[in-house]
Amino acid sequence: MVYFINDIITGALIGLLYSLVAMGFVVIYRASKVFNFAQGELVIIGGFIVWYTTMQVGLSLWLSIPLSLVLAGLVGYLIERIFLTKLIGESVFSMVMVTVGLLILLRGLVLLLFGPAVRPFPIIFPLKPLFLGDMLIPMNLLIGGIITIVAAIGLSWFFNRTRSGLRMTAVAEDHVVASSMGISVKGSIAFAWVLGAILSTIGAMIFLSGKSLTFLASDIGFAALPVALFAGLESIGGLILAGVIIGIVQSLTTNYLDPLIGGSLGSVVPYIIMLAILLIRPTGLFGWRTIERV
Amino acid sequence: MTYKTRLGLRGLLAAGAIAVTAAMPIKAQAETTYNLALLSDFSGPYADIMPVLAGGREAVFTWWNATRGKELGVTLNFKNYETRYDAAQVASLWPGIKSELNPIAVVGLGGPDVAALSERLPEDKIPMFMATAGYGFAWKADAWIFNPRPTYSHESAGFLAWMKEQRGGDEPLKFAVMASEASPAYVDMAKGLELHAEENPEELELVEVIYTEVQPTDLTAQMRRVARSGAEALIIQTNTSIVVAAKRGLQANGADIPIMMSSHNGLPASGGALGGLEQLEGDYEAYGMAIAAEEDTTARQFYETLAADHGLEAPWNVVTAMGVSQGLYTVTVIQHAIEKNGAEGLTGELVREALFAAPITTEETFGFLPTLSFTPEAPFPLEGLKVNVGTVKDGKIVIEATGVDVPNIHKW
Repeated sequence: MVYFINDIITGALIGLLYSLVAMGFVVIYRASKVFNFAQGELVIIGGFIVWYTTMQVGLSLWLSIPLSLVLAGLVGYLIERIFLTKLIGESVFSMVMVTVGLLILLRGLVLLLFGPAVRPFPIIFPLKPLFLGDMLIPMNLLIGGIITIVAAIGLSWFFNRTRSGLRMTAVAEDHVVASSMGISVKGSIAFAWVLGAILSTIGAMIFLSGKSLTFLASDIGFAALPVALFAGLESIGGLILAGVIIGIVQSLTTNYLDPLIGGSLGSVVPYIIMLAILLIRPTGLFGWRTIERV
Repeated sequence: MTYKTRLGLRGLLAAGAIAVTAAMPIKAQAETTYNLALLSDFSGPYADIMPVLAGGREAVFTWWNATRGKELGVTLNFKNYETRYDAAQVASLWPGIKSELNPIAVVGLGGPDVAALSERLPEDKIPMFMATAGYGFAWKADAWIFNPRPTYSHESAGFLAWMKEQRGGDEPLKFAVMASEASPAYVDMAKGLELHAEENPEELELVEVIYTEVQPTDLTAQMRRVARSGAEALIIQTNTSIVVAAKRGLQANGADIPIMMSSHNGLPASGGALGGLEQLEGDYEAYGMAIAAEEDTTARQFYETLAADHGLEAPWNVVTAMGVSQGLYTVTVIQHAIEKNGAEGLTGELVREALFAAPITTEETFGFLPTLSFTPEAPFPLEGLKVNVGTVKDGKIVIEATGVDVPNIHKW
């Protein structure tokens, strides 16, 4: 029974990591209605920035972490300025296609700049897990879970309670209307990309702490995709619940069903949940239902 | 000297030259060229090791052209094709490769090449030579794709048998396996061992097969289960990232279970990804190929020749050894085919026939591979199978055992 509970807790914490990465999807979507397919690539860009400042430049973690977050934000800003700003007012489809192109470009850029070698990622969180009696909780996931919940609360407050957040929501509704109301569409979208890149870098630190770094780490973007769609692409608070549900189901499937069937159902089950929820409720659990007058 | 004399002297010289040329061995006269297609992954999951592996095999082709090929009057041209380790990419590239090169052999990389070309190569009558161990799903008669090593399951079974012998006692050796459904080859590695353990309960006890992603999020809980089950070895023949995550999981649990890796994710690659070889002190790599260790061996001496005289820049490690092994058994088979059929008119079919006609001796591959006797029954040698075991001692890779017998494994 202890192991079962432990598997639930670990699953929930892994789910919260997915939620954090998915938060990048949601922040950008809420500000621009653009689904960023290159979210996983933002995670590895963030990961490589942390690796570079720590392992190559030799900065202490206290310096490299804030510096990496600033640099990641800058990368997000540059991506928006170079590739997306000229598409403001164009169809959302064009912007989405740009993110598909970004996915390929960023992956290639990482290979070009850093090479294909598997590199040791710095140990940011303690490797020793937290022991609670017979239960064992990985520290990186535990601290990551706390960060995710704090980030979700902060971002929910920002989007729902502040003028800047509400402006971003207005931008997502319609670029032209928002612009005519005096809202800086460019500024809002750029801010969303900065935020998305910073969240991805935090995700990279939790995901990769003490492990290895390659461009394969971008796969976590796809792992976070079911969480974002399950929660609904507009809901930051919903990501927490969706992440926890998907993480727990995945953990139990991996630990109890996979050994029986001799397969990797655990890696498929989040997508099954995602497809099921999209069939029943296309906007996700907490997505906005749009009423349009024709 | 009169004009007539000069003319006569010239005629004499010309006649002499013709006579000398005619008297020369036939093999030194002609310069026949054949093409090899090299399938590579410079931008996919094995991009980290590809430059080194490619360096090893290309250096062998260069060496062969300069030495044995020169004697035989044959040059092997080669060209790399980027597959991204993707079966769809291989399948789409293949018609173009065939029409561009008309190769007498393909030098492959891994599972996606096998998946994409296993139906095509018998039709096109072009053999493919791999670097890696074989796969259970490709264990079929009349193959056109060949591995110098038996399956990964054979290699890990050989290691486990050796480990049990080292441990002593009658109790079956408990072990766990890490696998991933990201690649059919990764699943295959586990399936073969599962069957082997099932058929030999007095020798082995498989405590768990853990399936995970190629870049796992966290394996601490899984490693705790492995530790609590009393596993004495953990087999990881998938990739480096899984080795790193498993090692971190074991360290978090304070568990000291030795990990056995393969050649493509071996001690240098995984040690590098963990931050240093010392992290893998007491862990192992095992495969049917020379261990690239500190010791001075025939294989190492040949590597030094390639490095000194044939432009090999890759360091002395397991991946270079894998590329060199692949190159060596490929050129040896081609050489056997030339010796039997002559330099002219060599085809892929004749190269394949030569593979079955005579063993490739360990001397011909400078000790990189054991003597290989291929038969039409399987894509890899089925008899005389051996593995070598390397480990890390005091932060250095050393040879722990050589010529370890591989137990008989049934098809799965």
